[in-house]
Amino acid sequence: MALAWGIALGVAGAGAVFAGLWLRARRSNALARTRLAAASAELERLEHAFARFAPMELVERVIASGVPTGGERKEVTVLFADLVGFTPLAESVDPSTLVRILNGYFERMSRAITAHQGHISTLIGDGILALFGAIETNPWQTDDAVRAALAMRAELAAYNAELASEGLPKLALGVGVHRGTGIAGLVGSPELMQFTIVGTVVTVAARVQTLTREHGVDILVTADVQRALDPRFALRALPPNMLKGISEPVSTFALLPD
Amino acid sequence: MPSALADVEWDACVLEPRRDRELEAYVRRGLGVVPSSVAYFTPVPWVVHAMTAMSSAGSPMLHVDSVLADLVGLVVSQDNSCRYCFGVQRLMLRVHGVADARIAQLEQGFLDAEIDPHAKSALDFARRLSRAAPLVSASDTEALRASGWNAPAIRELAFHSVFNVFMNRLMTIAAIPFAPVESLADFWPIRIVAPVMRIAMRRRERRALARASQLPQERARGPWAYLVGALDGLSAARALRETLDAALASQALPKRAKALIFAVVARGLDEPLAVREAGELLAECGLTPDRADSILTHLGSRDLDPIENALVPFARGTIRGRPLQLQQRTRALLELLSPEQLIEAVAVSALANAVTRLGVVTQV
Repeated sequence: MALAWGIALGVAGAGAVFAGLWLRARRSNALARTRLAAASAELERLEHAFARFAPMELVERVIASGVPTGGERKEVTVLFADLVGFTPLAESVDPSTLVRILNGYFERMSRAITAHQGHISTLIGDGILALFGAIETNPWQTDDAVRAALAMRAELAAYNAELASEGLPKLALGVGVHRGTGIAGLVGSPELMQFTIVGTVVTVAARVQTLTREHGVDILVTADVQRALDPRFALRALPPNMLKGISEPVSTFALLPD
Repeated sequence: MPSALADVEWDACVLEPRRDRELEAYVRRGLGVVPSSVAYFTPVPWVVHAMTAMSSAGSPMLHVDSVLADLVGLVVSQDNSCRYCFGVQRLMLRVHGVADARIAQLEQGFLDAEIDPHAKSALDFARRLSRAAPLVSASDTEALRASGWNAPAIRELAFHSVFNVFMNRLMTIAAIPFAPVESLADFWPIRIVAPVMRIAMRRRERRALARASQLPQERARGPWAYLVGALDGLSAARALRETLDAALASQALPKRAKALIFAVVARGLDEPLAVREAGELLAECGLTPDRADSILTHLGSRDLDPIENALVPFARGTIRGRPLQLQQRTRALLELLSPEQLIEAVAVSALANAVTRLGVVTQV
């Protein structure tokens, strides 16, 4: 009798232990499933978010098999923008006001660029490097870039009115736009990597931007842009200039008001 | 359970709903129910006919089962951020008896959800087809073949995927209110009535399959014959032919304006067959290749009338983009277009996005 009770208690005890372990495993599985679902959801969201900064195909490839090391030759239009007279401005206002002015500026410029299918590749101090046709094939990339430049001009005028109402100094913009072939890819170190375009096309856009001061205009486009551009845009031809690092003189055109 | 697209911004609808009993009866015969979206498109009947005829109910499928078809709808709608269609697909999956946990898993992590390789290859293909970045190619169809899909099944899958692209664009560009569908998808009694709805759906599918007839050879001719011909043997061929013919014959917008919309989307997606087809259509409307090229290169021209000059950049905006952006561009057309013209502009843009992406069926 005592043996039977012993066996029964033993079986019951083992059952209880087994049930306890089973319940624990179940809870742990449920927790793992929840975490997996949350991680997957996060991955899905990230995939969509990153598609705004790099081609979707590239994002998928990064998720599936890590960062690709190769690049791709692409026809792109590059817009390079810089604030004119930023250094004296930086010295005339307090740091928190300066940061507020800059953030307001970047927000408006970013809006103008993304509204015209461009994407900001890099912010360099007060400078902006924006690309058109880099993420997705875009047969209208040059018109888009020039429309973005006009939108930036309009946004800056509105922003300057706001700044003036606060007694703050006005901002002035210089924009260079160039079209050509560059190498598109993920560039950087393992710690900081970004999708961008490298090559002469970027250098020329940046150098043309500096010419805006020399010619006393705010937006300059190169002859490669002018050839691809909608003839309804009004341009004024300027004398060719030699640019640092470029062997041939570069012809530029001032973009007149809309 | 909140929708995975609950954060997607959505503008107020630009169209006024208008009920039409005759069209509603047509939709009910095809789908069994009249979706809330139908009332917004009744002023242009071909749009309502297309919504019904190209659906899996109107064009019954021989190779893709109904649950997989709804899964395709779910991933494509999610990818296109179409809150209306996403709600419809969640509802349909519940009607099919798919568990809430499973639907949540699919919504939240399609990439890692446990899906059998046959179905996963189909969902991957549908998503790539919809994204068109780049356009799907023969290598994508090869991947499907490796997972056991044969040529007619791939064509059917492609058609069903672009039907979802069409519906997503239609609902998104017009900002059709999603609240009725979203709340219905989360309405718990749906689970109770689902078995009865499934029986009714099966019956309707069987009847539709019995009614389905091949498109006569001579009707394959006409605009986009290369697509209609490639779908030969599927009921989709008839639906596509009838939709394209009705869209072009409709009088709300001039034919040239519609041809321009097709041409812009074809150029934006860089699909050579669609570019050629739209070019022929523009030539029929009196635009020489040079003039057409000049218009398409710069998305406008002094030669075009104000409506065409507005529709050309509008069509370009429908190729990609977030819903709110698309909807704001549609709102901007309100000053220029009548309600009928606006519906037709939205629907032709949606159709152009669908047929341009469908070019892959010629490579299967």
